[in-house]
Amino acid sequence: MGRRRRRRPDPADAARALPEAIAALSRTLPAAPSPEIFRRAKFDRPEAAPALWRLLFRVLSPLPADGALASLALEAQARWVKSALRSQGYPRRALVQLPDEGSQGGRELLLALAWLLARGPLPERLLTQSHVRLGDEMPVCEALASPGLPAPGVEAEGCVDIRHLQWLTGKLRLRWRNLMAGQQEQCALLGKIHSYTRGCHSDRSLGHLSVTETELLRDPEGGRQLLQLLETENARLEAALEWRRRELVFWQWMDTVLDACSPEDSPPMFLPRIPEPEAGVAGLLARELQALQEELREAAEARRAAWQATVGGHGPEWRAARRALQAAVAQDLAALQRSWEQDEGRARPHGPHRLVRTEARVPGGPGLRAAEVTEALRAREACLEAVLCQLQGQCRQELARLAGARPGLIWVPPPTR
Amino acid sequence: MLPAECSRRLVAELRDALDSCAERQRQLEQSLRVSRRLLRVWEPAETPAPEPTLGPEINEEAPSSACPPSPQDLKELELLTQALEKAVRVRKGLSKAGEGVKVPSLKSGSASTATKASAPPSTSRCTGSRAPETKPPRGVHHPWVPAKDLPGHRLLLVGDGAHMGQGAGANKTEAGLRDQQIVPQAASQVPEAFTLKDKGALLRLPEAFRKAASQNARLWAQLSSMQTGDSADAAAAAATAKTQFLQKMQTAAGLPGSMLSTAEVGRLQKACSMLRLRMREELTADPKDWMQEYRSLLTLEGLQALAGQCLRRLQELRSAVVEQPQGLWAEGAPRAALPCGGGADPVWSPQLLLYSSTQELQTLAALRLRVAMLDQQVHLEKVLMAELLPLLREQEPLGRPWLALCRAAHCLLCEGGQHFLTVLQDESADRLSPP
Repeated sequence: MGRRRRRRPDPADAARALPEAIAALSRTLPAAPSPEIFRRAKFDRPEAAPALWRLLFRVLSPLPADGALASLALEAQARWVKSALRSQGYPRRALVQLPDEGSQGGRELLLALAWLLARGPLPERLLTQSHVRLGDEMPVCEALASPGLPAPGVEAEGCVDIRHLQWLTGKLRLRWRNLMAGQQEQCALLGKIHSYTRGCHSDRSLGHLSVTETELLRDPEGGRQLLQLLETENARLEAALEWRRRELVFWQWMDTVLDACSPEDSPPMFLPRIPEPEAGVAGLLARELQALQEELREAAEARRAAWQATVGGHGPEWRAARRALQAAVAQDLAALQRSWEQDEGRARPHGPHRLVRTEARVPGGPGLRAAEVTEALRAREACLEAVLCQLQGQCRQELARLAGARPGLIWVPPPTR
Repeated sequence: MLPAECSRRLVAELRDALDSCAERQRQLEQSLRVSRRLLRVWEPAETPAPEPTLGPEINEEAPSSACPPSPQDLKELELLTQALEKAVRVRKGLSKAGEGVKVPSLKSGSASTATKASAPPSTSRCTGSRAPETKPPRGVHHPWVPAKDLPGHRLLLVGDGAHMGQGAGANKTEAGLRDQQIVPQAASQVPEAFTLKDKGALLRLPEAFRKAASQNARLWAQLSSMQTGDSADAAAAAATAKTQFLQKMQTAAGLPGSMLSTAEVGRLQKACSMLRLRMREELTADPKDWMQEYRSLLTLEGLQALAGQCLRRLQELRSAVVEQPQGLWAEGAPRAALPCGGGADPVWSPQLLLYSSTQELQTLAALRLRVAMLDQQVHLEKVLMAELLPLLREQEPLGRPWLALCRAAHCLLCEGGQHFLTVLQDESADRLSPP
């Protein structure tokens, strides 16, 4: 399959290459329309548009398609797609101007899809998202749970009393408590299942079965469904491999599609800037960074002052040592900077890991150790607690200042727990 | 009462938090259901016709599909029955040898825990049905019928032996009761109901599944190597073509390219938290000599510079954003769905997390949830601060409404919504203070 062809390119081959590439793409993307739709889209045929809107929606939504999302009307999906593309920086205005009801614009949609495909490994990412998990998975680090799509039923509420907020906060606290209790039970059960099935797995490095695997043995019907999912995924994986082998011809074709479009007008004259609401994500971040910078400045200045006071007492070896230290710190900080600049955080493994119960204490073997992860989590916990404390302290100060402006009041803080 | 916009935003944030919690809870409950069921006695998945009493009790989730047993299954069953007969014979022999026979049980040490199947009915049924039955018996689709390569009867002997230990004091589980109910109609089936605890180690994954799973792993590995090993000509050419395409899209575009992209914001958020983490490390470390002190000083100054850089970059991005007039874009752009860390590997690869005891696992899980909760709390705190503090600053501190708001805000912001402070009005001070 991987043998490189050395013979002269056969025109028949060339003619077949594009449809096969598109066919592979269609087989690997979830819910993709037939290859014929792609071709029709180039010529802007109306039947192509709805299918492509749906595909874009499916591809862009952060959550795998479930009943609720899939049943959104085409119009709603189209609006959402436009919004999502724009927030990723999609440059073409023509897409925005397409009617929401989704009957036009096959060619523009095709360009949008190609743009997404060009920007990153889209088929692979989608496959990873929908990968059939065979093990008991535990994510190693937690990202803030993304809200994803705005709930369709969100009503514009009127004014609320602050007590409503307090009530919601209390409810939230209760939910977390329940969650934690349930989680403990689940771990106990997992531990049992893992130890009872020790020695069963054909893969020696795993050793025991996971809940999914045990479940498929208990329930053969479910097992058949799982098998089917697995086989579908295998088919999509093979299609993805084929796509990667053949995609060049697709890009050559997309060039022609782009040329077929009329060039867009230059960007309009200066548009009045609508300031982003202060509580937007970027606003929050800006404030955070400012606060951080301030803290660092204070700490650094204090230390610098302390240092200046004692610097006289250092000998001649001081100069050489200083240079060495400066270089070391510079390297350190550069590495730190790299850790957020680069896209792949390969230093620390992310994402869900399969739980494996083992007595083995093989150092350097594959896989993370629970102890290491626990340690890392503790560090993170401490950091977050500190941040929370600091923010609360800030609020206390601010409120005290505001209240202090009003004489004649005594503020009795709650008893410290 | 809070103003409408503010209310809407805050309620939306809290609702989001509640929803994400609820979603986790839902998933957790599903997992719990499955796990609990696995640890109970396993019901057979199919209900053959002549046993109506069993109908409603069998696994209500999976539709019972009646399919005739394959010849293979029948053969296996025959083997099994013969093995059982032998087991009974040997067991009788053993029981004659003495009660104190120690039989190694499969998982847990004590035989008394193997109480899931009731011994007396099982023994009677075992002896009663010597001949292999042609009627589809209950256990035929138990895939744990040992494959031919397993020393099945030996293991079954062990299992049976474990049952020996219990006497009249056997705890009858529901399965046992059911078994007794259907004794008159009982076909010859595996007498002991299956529990994971006793017989978990006998399980073997079906062949088709194993094949599919290993092919799956193989394909992922191939895909992964294709990602990283981009030296092949075809891949390099494709990469160039893609870059050119993107550039062409950009130049032919009608909208400015630089946007406050979610990826950039994500990166800066990560920067902020990494800087903060590092700062904490430096501040809590205890320098032992002047070299360490100096190093710490340099690090802090360096961190300060980096923070400044990030802030400037963020401000640049924000000022470059040209918002389209409302109506052109859908309301409420979807919020960034940041994958874990913002830079998750696009291609899945098998990653293991090894643990050695239930305690360890529980600690890990609890910590993970705690970190997620704290993360959420910090985010909510920031949002609340951003909304409530300006409100309090703006309003004239006249009278009770402002005081009530202030007190409630204090509770929310400073005490996590848990404790209230008390505000006392000092009348005497008012009278004494100059007008």
